[in-house]
Amino acid sequence: MKSYLSLIPISAKVRRRQNRMTLLCIIFAVFLVTAIFSMADMMIRMEQSRLAEKHSQKFTFQAILDTSMGQTLFLIAGVLFLLILIAGVLMISGSINSTVAQRTRFFGMMRCIGMSRQQLARSVRLEALNWCKTAIPIGVILGTVSSWVLCAILRFVVREEFTTIPLCGVSLVGIASGVVMGTVTVLIAARAPAEQAAKVSPVAAVSGNTGSPGQARRAVRTSALPIEISLGVHHAVSAKKELVLMTGSFALSIILFLTFSVLLDWVGYLLPQSASDADLTIYGESGVNCVSPKIAEAIRGTDGVENVFGRRSVFEVPAELGQEGLPQTVDLISFDDLDLEALKKDDILKKGSDLTNVYGDNGYVLAVCDPDAPLHKGDTIQIGGGTLTVAGLLKYDLFSGDGLSHGRVSVIASSETFIRLTGIVDYSLVMIQGKVTDEAVAAINALLDEGLRLRDQREQRTFGTYVAFVMCVYSFLVIIAMVTVLNIMNSISMSVSARSKQYGAMRAVGMDGRQMTWMIFAEAFTYALAGCVIGCAAGLIIGKILFNILIQDHFAYAVWTLPVSRLLIVVLFVILATIAAVHVPAKRIRNMAVTDTINEL
Amino acid sequence: MNLLRVAHICKTYGDSEAAVHALKDVSFSVPKGEFVAIVGESGSGKSTLLNMIGALDTPTSGRVYINEKDTFAMKEKELTVFRRRNIGFIFQAFNLIPELSVEQNMIFPLLLDRQRPNKRYLDDLLTVLGLEERRDHLPSQLSGGQQQRVAIGRALITRPSLVLADEPTGNLDSKNSSEVLALLKKTARQYEQTVIMITHNPAIAHTADRVFQVSDGVLTDLGGCRA
Repeated sequence: MKSYLSLIPISAKVRRRQNRMTLLCIIFAVFLVTAIFSMADMMIRMEQSRLAEKHSQKFTFQAILDTSMGQTLFLIAGVLFLLILIAGVLMISGSINSTVAQRTRFFGMMRCIGMSRQQLARSVRLEALNWCKTAIPIGVILGTVSSWVLCAILRFVVREEFTTIPLCGVSLVGIASGVVMGTVTVLIAARAPAEQAAKVSPVAAVSGNTGSPGQARRAVRTSALPIEISLGVHHAVSAKKELVLMTGSFALSIILFLTFSVLLDWVGYLLPQSASDADLTIYGESGVNCVSPKIAEAIRGTDGVENVFGRRSVFEVPAELGQEGLPQTVDLISFDDLDLEALKKDDILKKGSDLTNVYGDNGYVLAVCDPDAPLHKGDTIQIGGGTLTVAGLLKYDLFSGDGLSHGRVSVIASSETFIRLTGIVDYSLVMIQGKVTDEAVAAINALLDEGLRLRDQREQRTFGTYVAFVMCVYSFLVIIAMVTVLNIMNSISMSVSARSKQYGAMRAVGMDGRQMTWMIFAEAFTYALAGCVIGCAAGLIIGKILFNILIQDHFAYAVWTLPVSRLLIVVLFVILATIAAVHVPAKRIRNMAVTDTINEL
Repeated sequence: MNLLRVAHICKTYGDSEAAVHALKDVSFSVPKGEFVAIVGESGSGKSTLLNMIGALDTPTSGRVYINEKDTFAMKEKELTVFRRRNIGFIFQAFNLIPELSVEQNMIFPLLLDRQRPNKRYLDDLLTVLGLEERRDHLPSQLSGGQQQRVAIGRALITRPSLVLADEPTGNLDSKNSSEVLALLKKTARQYEQTVIMITHNPAIAHTADRVFQVSDGVLTDLGGCRA
């Protein structure tokens, strides 16, 4: 031993099990940040090479950063960095805290034999940094490798606009941010425990009065619940610092989950993915119904074409809606069966709508209107001598730019109903889906009569971006969930270790294994429940605010609803996390020999 | 009738050359109501023996019968229930539960057994132990002697037939020691309990009905001191 600091690696070796979780936490934080920044870097490089190809000149990193895409990417990465930093500090300080609390006597003894406060604080800090030595390289390697995997998925599975993303790029930005993240979290997390350790009085060692979980201020209420449950809850509630840290980390991940899922909604509104999105569209220059069904039929035979369907429309048809204050005309639009099915797939139909009668010529239609001109399911519309019954309503107006109808009423009918009412057979729009090659497009073009136009939308599909975004959000959510579970497992395990002597005594005076498990479960569940309540409340509020800013302000028809299924996921997750957290320590304590602890002072 | 019968208990830690024989073929019986002291040097195997009797630890070979029930033939769960109903433990380190009050600590084994304490018996115990003024205090607000008295109360609350005490006065000064000891004897006599107590103190051992000495894992009956 050259200096007192040589004690650190020795003590780390002895306390390997307790430190394992802390190590995992650091690895996770470093891994996440490295992966995120590496991905952002790869995206930038892809953008760089794309621009270079397009403009045949080299773009610098700075130039990319000046683009809005570059800024958005790094803004997102920055926000994620901050969130991970907070989560990391919460978790790591939780575990350092417990290890310090468990060793009060040891620190007291160190003070007794001559260690100064500064030396003690330094040794706690250095001990924390000692973990970085192994955790940071592992995290960086994991992060880089997973960014390769993600790039490969984007390039070979999602394809679309990601075919040029670099495959095995090593990102210096990613590595640097990982290293910074690891070091900074550990230093921040170790600050308070280091001070706490320095405050330990030398008397603590001699008197055995350690002030660790042994000190209670208030007696447990034992009347209402079984004793082991009361004790478990009391263990959770009495240690304020632990309670704040554990509840905080639970709440934080729930908040992140509820917030991020609003981002998913947002992308859904921003890049709506419809089953009826066309790759090619044929329309008449004059705008009226002039595309013959024969053309549609002919296109069906073209290479690569998967679906062909069309719409017909007649505007401002005189109609009686049977209610005062409603317009006297409607826009009548025909949908082919495939198009009608797409409405259901895309979840555009309001609750209660029934599509089955709309198919064929049964006199049933779907209506599109504003909430202030309300038509309901079952209302009838008199039109051209026939009666149509409303079988359902759409959530928003497909035919207007902002999703609002602005006082107009549109009626969607099947082709059969439309032809019966109007006698019009020609389409106003014919839509084509499929993997259509340029040659096939030329062949389709050759089929078109004079006055018809072909719009090529193959490049405008946003599916790739959509999938990539959704994938990123989901993987981030999964990682957050894993980190939370790890954290609570760690904390429960620490808390159990800290009380093992007490648990031994309880076993000796007659607590059985099942009661032991319930006691530990009650403690974990208290944290989880508190975190769940706070997390759901705050998450819903933040989610609603975000919904207003991101969605409601831009999509007037959007309506916020309580995300019941997401809340259920949260509850389920919390219960599973608690069970996972309790399992291992409970087993350990059940299997521990009672005699190991009872006569320790 | 013998309340406790220990038959050919051996306990060996480790194996082959590193084997340590903590107990070597220990056999003895204790009749109901007897106050037994076990003496011996540190590391002689006293605590190991006591843990075997209390079924906290399992022997390498041999049997322990309490009320003619073979404790090591029971399953873990059955044993736990048997222990909390029939054996009271008093430890040198008190081992009270810090977040429970004096009264709660005392009735803890009953609560684990989903029983309500008999209020008169509890009040009696509190009075005998001199804790009636302290019933709502937490262990941290008590002196060492008071804490050990709570532990005695906890050991006696289920009216166990056997009380095992591992150096109950080891952490106490001489005044508190003799007080606690007197209480232990008084309550044991009052409630007809068998007490087996480990002690280092020859003076304390002297007051027991019978004294056993453990030396290098071998038990010797030194006979009655007062008989």
